[in-house]
Amino acid sequence: MASMEFTEWIRGRTDDQLRALVSARPELITPVPAHLEGLASRAASPSAIGRALDRLDRFTLAVVETLAVLGAPVPKAELGKLVGRALAAGEPEPALSAALDRLRDLALVYGPDDGLDLSPGVRKVLDDPAGLGPAAVDVFRHHPPEQLDELADDVAPGTTGTGRDRLAAALADPAGLVGEVSDEARAALDQLAWGPPTGRVPNARREVRVGSARSPIEQLLARGLLAATGEESVTLPREVALHLRGGRVHRDLLAVPPALEGTPRDQKQADRTAAGQAFAFVRSVEELCERWSIDPPGVLRTGGLGVRDMKRTATELDLPEWAAALVVEVAHAAGLVAAGGSVDGEWLPTSGYDLWRVRSTADRWVTLAQAWLQMDRVPGLVGERDERDRPLNALHADLRRSSAAPVRSAALGVVAAAPGLAPSLDSLLDRLAWEQPRRRGPLREQLTEFALREAEQVGVTGLGALSGHGRALLAGDDAAGILAPLLPEPVDHVLLQADLTAVAPGPLTSELNRWMTLAADVESKGGATVYRFGDDSIRRALDAGQGAEELLAALARHSATPVPQALSYLIADVARRHGRIRVGTASAYVRCDDPALLDQIVADRRSAALRLRRLAPTVIASRTSRAALVDSLRAMGYAPVAESLDGDVIISQLDSRRTEGGPVTRPVPPGNGLDPEVAAAAVKALRAGDAAHLARREPVAAPSGAIPRGPATATISALQDAIRQGVRVWIGYLDSQGNATSRILEPARMEGGYLTAYDETRAAVHRFALHRITGVAGLS
Amino acid sequence: MNDGPLIVQSDKTLLLEVDHDRADECRKAIAPFAELERAPEHVHTYRVTPLALWNARAAGHDAEQVIDALIGYSRYPVPHALLVDIAETMARYGRLRLEKHPVSGLVLTSTDRAVLEEVLRSKKIQPMLGERLGADSVIVHPSDRGNVKQALLKLGWPAEDLAGYVDGEHHPIKLAQEGWSLRPYQQAAADAFWHGGSGVVVLPCGAGKTIVGAAAMAHAQATTLILVTNTVSAHQWKQELIRRTSLTEDEIGEYSGSKKEIRPVTIATYQVMTTRRKGVYSHLELFDARDWGLIVYDEVHLLPAPIFRMTADLQARRRVGLTATLVREDGREGDVFSLIGPKRYDAPWKEMEHQGWIAPADCVEVRVTLTDEERLAYAMAEQEERYRFCSTTPSKTRVTEALVRRHLGEQVLVIGQYIDQLDELGEHLNAPVIKGETRIKERERLYQAFRDKEIQVLVVSKVANFSIDLPEASVAIQVSGTFGSRQEEAQRLGRVLRPKSGGGGARFYTVVSRDTVDQEFAAHRQRFLAEQGYAYQIIDADDVLDEV
Repeated sequence: MASMEFTEWIRGRTDDQLRALVSARPELITPVPAHLEGLASRAASPSAIGRALDRLDRFTLAVVETLAVLGAPVPKAELGKLVGRALAAGEPEPALSAALDRLRDLALVYGPDDGLDLSPGVRKVLDDPAGLGPAAVDVFRHHPPEQLDELADDVAPGTTGTGRDRLAAALADPAGLVGEVSDEARAALDQLAWGPPTGRVPNARREVRVGSARSPIEQLLARGLLAATGEESVTLPREVALHLRGGRVHRDLLAVPPALEGTPRDQKQADRTAAGQAFAFVRSVEELCERWSIDPPGVLRTGGLGVRDMKRTATELDLPEWAAALVVEVAHAAGLVAAGGSVDGEWLPTSGYDLWRVRSTADRWVTLAQAWLQMDRVPGLVGERDERDRPLNALHADLRRSSAAPVRSAALGVVAAAPGLAPSLDSLLDRLAWEQPRRRGPLREQLTEFALREAEQVGVTGLGALSGHGRALLAGDDAAGILAPLLPEPVDHVLLQADLTAVAPGPLTSELNRWMTLAADVESKGGATVYRFGDDSIRRALDAGQGAEELLAALARHSATPVPQALSYLIADVARRHGRIRVGTASAYVRCDDPALLDQIVADRRSAALRLRRLAPTVIASRTSRAALVDSLRAMGYAPVAESLDGDVIISQLDSRRTEGGPVTRPVPPGNGLDPEVAAAAVKALRAGDAAHLARREPVAAPSGAIPRGPATATISALQDAIRQGVRVWIGYLDSQGNATSRILEPARMEGGYLTAYDETRAAVHRFALHRITGVAGLS
Repeated sequence: MNDGPLIVQSDKTLLLEVDHDRADECRKAIAPFAELERAPEHVHTYRVTPLALWNARAAGHDAEQVIDALIGYSRYPVPHALLVDIAETMARYGRLRLEKHPVSGLVLTSTDRAVLEEVLRSKKIQPMLGERLGADSVIVHPSDRGNVKQALLKLGWPAEDLAGYVDGEHHPIKLAQEGWSLRPYQQAAADAFWHGGSGVVVLPCGAGKTIVGAAAMAHAQATTLILVTNTVSAHQWKQELIRRTSLTEDEIGEYSGSKKEIRPVTIATYQVMTTRRKGVYSHLELFDARDWGLIVYDEVHLLPAPIFRMTADLQARRRVGLTATLVREDGREGDVFSLIGPKRYDAPWKEMEHQGWIAPADCVEVRVTLTDEERLAYAMAEQEERYRFCSTTPSKTRVTEALVRRHLGEQVLVIGQYIDQLDELGEHLNAPVIKGETRIKERERLYQAFRDKEIQVLVVSKVANFSIDLPEASVAIQVSGTFGSRQEEAQRLGRVLRPKSGGGGARFYTVVSRDTVDQEFAAHRQRFLAEQGYAYQIIDADDVLDEV
């Protein structure tokens, strides 16, 4: 039984090899099987094999396919001959040995070099390996025996045996038969030769004999060179295809990945360009959140962001629509915006946004870039139509594609492999087709194209080449540290000019930025910001409670140049018209029709802390919050009722609103594969479980002599050493009845106050409470 | 971090910090592909427009140079999207070319078949094209040379015009540099035009654009048609040409409402060219009257639409446009580009002033507070009457008088929009008024008297906005204008910018009613000059009145 051999082979692997296996195929240990037999059968399941094969490159997959074609255990030399024939150039070694090592590591191939075989289940998963149909014996299996006899009589007269066997024997060397058919029939064969091995013909099951065959297809059917496998389908038997292929399983095979082609880029320039884009991207996200906190778009009934809102957002951000969709999606993936607010739902910034906002630009970028890298959504699809011709909306569940994140890292992985090069899309797709031949298709190509476009937009790549901070991001290193020096430093001044503009020669400090945005209109954005003062903007600043003096003083303080006369006139002019109207800021008010009651409140000593101000006989303004005001007044013995913001013009300032954070993609440690410690623990548990399962290991008697005793700290460190070194130890243990016992253990892991270990004295895996272990001693 | 003087914005504006050590060097590097948009005191703004990029391509710069300049001088990383956009935009120029074909005459050829196909599908272009010659070229009707260029520019595929020019009828013209010589920038402007073939020269008022025109004619050595805004300006051109070139009076013809002379050099007014009789332009034959070798467009920013249409038919002749500003209130800058030609020379006003070629000017905005009755009347005025009302208030007249008194002994021009206001001012100031109905002879007599300082105050309507050479005017008082027209403000300032014989500065007052639409329009009008670096000082009318 192949599966028994395979299980034994698995069992014979070293711990390092098993660790490599579970690290490369983490799905085999989720959850950890009880024993190695379980591991072996899981490794042979079609879905697990499918996933393992998906990870193979073109060459390694070709080795697997060649083994599938060869069948039965074969020596490496024979395999090498066949692989060598398929190569476009060069020798199969050393690539073949490396591929076989890899395949053994993955437990897709097992056995020694002189008897290599595919692991159980692999053949079944590979239908039509390398585009080859089934062998003749199989392909004719379901033909009526009479028909097979007739076929055999025609192609192999004078032989004996069943029709199927005679036919198969004749097809083993089909050269003669192929030579008999007409050129048209030969052309039809050549069409199928390199796969797929099936073709469609009407009335495939017609009965034809060599003598009466007319059409090219009939000539082929009559000789068994094509087998009818359905009413309208025919299949090329494997032997015939191999003959047509000149004995090769593949053609133009490459043992090494195809070289990347593209435009060389100066790394420094690429870094700077990417940093510029990174800065712009962070700014876009910030602007989006600021806009949405004042004027949030609604959530569609089906979820997502409406087409019109998306268009408006793109216009406001001054970005093409796809780039604006990316900004929206990344902000969402990073947990900065989420659905919330009123009954119908609105897209609002989360409280996480407030935390994000105060961090440095480089840190903020890393958060966004990581969210982009890991999100399972495809912003590039926004605006396209689904299969029911409905538009795909941003932030909608329909944008989810499980392959989005893997494609992104695969594409960036290729870009990373060529420092200082901006690979062309075609060359990159070629490379990916070699690296992941089983992961192909129009969607993947589209996703790859999106990934490159987005990488540029987010600022991971610059001029098409991977930037320094992008590389650090992929590797999980300190990307922020590399990016920060490339970003503009915040400045705390502006340059005022006589044409009523102000230029901030860099990103402003956050406080000054808010102030400038209030008092002036932004005219142009980028590394610097150009503001223009006008009637409206000054009025806005005055509306928000700033006085003319205050404005001028702030301008003088923040300007590196003198305040131009035209600007001070403008402010004075606008302020003069505002003279009659006093504008201030207040966060809550008290309203009452009875002035006497308000007199009482103001006079009350306890109200001093509330900083109340009488605005009118019936109105008091306060600088505390509405909630605090209501609470305090209640505490003072009044019975206030909170009033909504609606309907009162005095304090009509818009509130920035927030919602609670939605589900956020949990950051996964960058890089692929399993945490090495997890893999090691899993292997240890497997070994232990296997040992128990086999039950071939008899309980071992505990050594005689005094039960080990020692201080608790020494015990723990000794156990840790044992886990690390994978050695057996002898422990003293108080069982649940309080009896002192002695055990021999293979410790696997220690967590939560418990030690998990294979107990050789009981021949089973047990958990031991650490506090009951009295001591540890080594075993010679 | 790079410590460059330039900041590249994502909206394709470039901010140049003028006080930076490398500012000059940077200005030279970016000037070929970016238009100077604003030049206030600290930070100048340039804009990278498709037109500017195509200008740069036309002048032989490639995208690589542009990108290198941006990255090299930029203080911050340059957004990638912008670089891509620049490369793509520049690559669009020259894919299509207008060329001379030995057999078929004028052809449109392409190095990129897809572009040609795209263009051929356009309904606007189809009728202008003839037979297809092979895969990459198609015949263009020679009469549609201008229209094709105009339409292609609108499609975003500007054609490179390599079809060349006709030489025109030879006529010897030399500059007579006796007692004066061509200023370096005038020489540079004329040369830049000549090498480019056709195009526009942008120089401030008072910088001697007529002389650049004369230098261009000396280059061409051919019969020349000069198109100017009005008759007075035509006379001035004529006098200037007689003085500055070898041309004699007999060689220069005037083609206007009153005279219809066609000579080797003919000066025509826009007005006569655009006069229609029974729906047809009756003076079109002027364009075909001679085999012109050069056409000069004075004040190209005012070029009326019919002239554009006529110009479209003149693409085989060399064209030079002269103007103080490319700002057009009607936004037809693209037509100027495709029909007259790209900008060939440009000098910032302030720089010319520093070099002493134009008089330094103080711009002062005088704010008049309306009386209570005036405010009430203003508030009740009909919407369309409001501007007229607030810009012609009696308060303004009083202030204007005070200003004139302030500058007693200097040559003062009072400029306004509304005739009754001007008449009233003329009466109060005891000064002659020049307006549309004033006869040409009378106008010239008054101008001459003003130049001779026999008259010290002259009240003029908008007829004097352009091309009137009044070198000695040192004070201009603007009382009302054509709403928010920025180019009018620039033109009016230009009246006082000629270098003075005494070497003194010029002063430009604009009298504005406070808290009215007048003030809003004034702010709009001032934008162009403020952006050119002229800081308006604001004073209160009461201060002026108190002085007296």
